[in-house]
Amino acid sequence: MHSVEKLFILNNEIKLEAEVFQIKKETPSCVALMCHPHPEFFRV
Amino acid sequence: MHNNVVSGVFNSFVNNDISCMRFNFRGVGNSTGKHTSGKGELSDVKACIDHLTQTLLFDRIFICGYSYGAAIGCSTINYSKKIIGYCAISFPWDFMGIQYKEFSQSKSPKLFIQGDMDSLAPYNNFMKHYNYYSEPKKFKIIEGADHFYQGFEEAISREVINFYESILT
Repeated sequence: MHSVEKLFILNNEIKLEAEVFQIKKETPSCVALMCHPHPEFFRV
Repeated sequence: MHNNVVSGVFNSFVNNDISCMRFNFRGVGNSTGKHTSGKGELSDVKACIDHLTQTLLFDRIFICGYSYGAAIGCSTINYSKKIIGYCAISFPWDFMGIQYKEFSQSKSPKLFIQGDMDSLAPYNNFMKHYNYYSEPKKFKIIEGADHFYQGFEEAISREVINFYESILT
């Protein structure tokens, strides 16, 4: 059973809020990286 | 972390047992720091890519971004040879500036999704921008959708998953 894990990714002094869902059975493994919009733009 | 488009696609990846990650840029939600008009945000995506390849040991990465996230995320396509392609949903070329169009140029597979009622990433300019990009590339026009895609989340997710699976085979 896999689940979505919450974590923070460090970018120098910045901590980035993230969620990851990891399937470990894939060989070689591939992952989709989703990039959110920014609320300062277009109110999304 | 709560956007209807990103959540719809992310949940589709999860429901299809496809590994995925999403994150908030600096200064958004519980991410620390402040908005930097692009430079810092590009490094945020690269930090996520490094985490996926160096800590979680993924071999290949597919990038999918929406709106501002499309411009920034897809602009890292040439950062690592492990990035196999991208999907840009409503890439705001006219708003973001020419550099993001140049950064996101690539010979890797690309899918562009665009609503035909979108006035923020204007549909009228879409083909002009799309024609700039090298093959391989595809586009999908979502009829009736504006920039916010309310009610079109499932249609977008289906397009993204199908494209993702097509470039893995």
